[in-house]
Amino acid sequence: MNESASGSGAHIRQINRADRLKAWSRHHRQLFRSTLITLLNQPGALLITWLVIGIALSLPILLSLALREISEADTRQVIQPAMSVYLSVPSESETAQALLQSLRASSAVGEVRLITEQAALMEFSSLAGFGDVLNAFSENPLPGIIEVVPNERDGAGIKLLAQQIAGQDGVDQVSFDAAWLERLSAILGILERVLYALGVLFSGAVIFTIGNTLRLTIENQRAEIEITKLFGGSDSFVQRPFIYRGFWLGFGGALLAFLIIQASLMYLSGPVERLAQSYRSNFALEALDFGESIGLFALGALLGILGSWVSVWRYLKQIQPK
Amino acid sequence: MLVFDHVSKRYPNGYDALSDVSLSVDAGEFVFLTGPSGAGKSTLLKLINGVERSSQGQVHIAGQNITRLPARKIPTLRQSIGVVFQNHQLLFDRRVYDNVALPLLIAGMKPTDIGRRVRAALSKVGLTGREDDWPETLSGGEQQRVGIARAVVHRPPILLADEPTGNLDPDLSREIMSLFLQFSQLGVTVLIATHDLELVEAMPARRVQLQDGRMIAR
Repeated sequence: MNESASGSGAHIRQINRADRLKAWSRHHRQLFRSTLITLLNQPGALLITWLVIGIALSLPILLSLALREISEADTRQVIQPAMSVYLSVPSESETAQALLQSLRASSAVGEVRLITEQAALMEFSSLAGFGDVLNAFSENPLPGIIEVVPNERDGAGIKLLAQQIAGQDGVDQVSFDAAWLERLSAILGILERVLYALGVLFSGAVIFTIGNTLRLTIENQRAEIEITKLFGGSDSFVQRPFIYRGFWLGFGGALLAFLIIQASLMYLSGPVERLAQSYRSNFALEALDFGESIGLFALGALLGILGSWVSVWRYLKQIQPK
Repeated sequence: MLVFDHVSKRYPNGYDALSDVSLSVDAGEFVFLTGPSGAGKSTLLKLINGVERSSQGQVHIAGQNITRLPARKIPTLRQSIGVVFQNHQLLFDRRVYDNVALPLLIAGMKPTDIGRRVRAALSKVGLTGREDDWPETLSGGEQQRVGIARAVVHRPPILLADEPTGNLDPDLSREIMSLFLQFSQLGVTVLIATHDLELVEAMPARRVQLQDGRMIAR
């Protein structure tokens, strides 16, 4: 105070724009750290909040990861088993080779694989119990098979393709389960919608969790808020720490969600791979890539800021010094 | 510095806290507001820092009419006013340093400047070296002096105090009052509401007496 009041005498303080901007960004930088430190001072409460947010975020994301893998093109044989085209002619015959060529050239067809009679026999006899059955035949009773993976995704289109192939020379019959496919794509459609709804609901849950946590904090800091306002702290100055708290709660929650997701994928990967192998598929649950992880963190932070904003602003405005 | 022009304040419940108060205070003046409790002393102070608004009449501060000041401009007004309370209103979960630094944080000052200012303010009120103490470890008089340090640390041109010695013994009260007097000698306009007439008599200061919301002596 020694050098003080004499100079600042008789005028209402005026601060220029540049200084105010500097002070504003300094306050932000300082809050970025101090709010995290304050939160970390109560590790138990913080961890529980983070866990709740983490679980709420990870559930819809895990579901969407599973759904994405299931419906992704390169793994579709898991649920869209290749059509089996049974040949009426030997697989070395010109008719069969021509059929193979035309299927490979077709734009409706993604992948084509010829299983010769011998290959079919070997595969069949390797299955337990069938070896003896086949030994009863003097010659190979199995026909050659062309496995066709259609590009078409929906059941009706695949049905049409199957009919076209069935009409070609050298084809005995085409087998695939059309009804199952149709049902499955319908189920996938429903699942996708359920997923969107879940995403919205769980995001709402995150926003309300953060909002509620912050409201409790505000109630505990009522005296501090009143004093701050009495000494000229604006509504946004008072709100700023809570925005940063919201940010950290959301961001930390997303970090936990990330860990929960990776752990779940590791836990599931064994059984899923075994299932996929039985479908001769390289289907695997893929972890979040770099961009998606960043997206998850951004989503958490955004929900935190949003949760703070919607629940805190009006509440803080109501607190006025008496 | 401060002008009240026929100011009345009626609270929403119909209670008339102030009736037709006209008052002018110069910069650097030291003024006691006296009167029994309920006379309107606190209300008068609250009209200055925008906690309450007048029902009638105009309030001017440093030439600015604050009677109908929009809510978003109230913070700027308050940043130029220091306030001391009867129960000092310190934040007990913060150290002395952080309590005193609050107005400077609000003003957006650099951390290095804040440290310098806080220590200067604490030395002014005789609490040098106590910045790391917790408020609850201080005596009542010391707590009040921390409250005063907080009220002047940002060098406001106006200092308001509502019963600042209400909880203190006579010796401590005189000590606190002489602190306020020093600030007014440095150019700060000081308004102190008190019902401690003995103390007021002993001080060479202007006296404004209120009774039932009316001024009966100025």
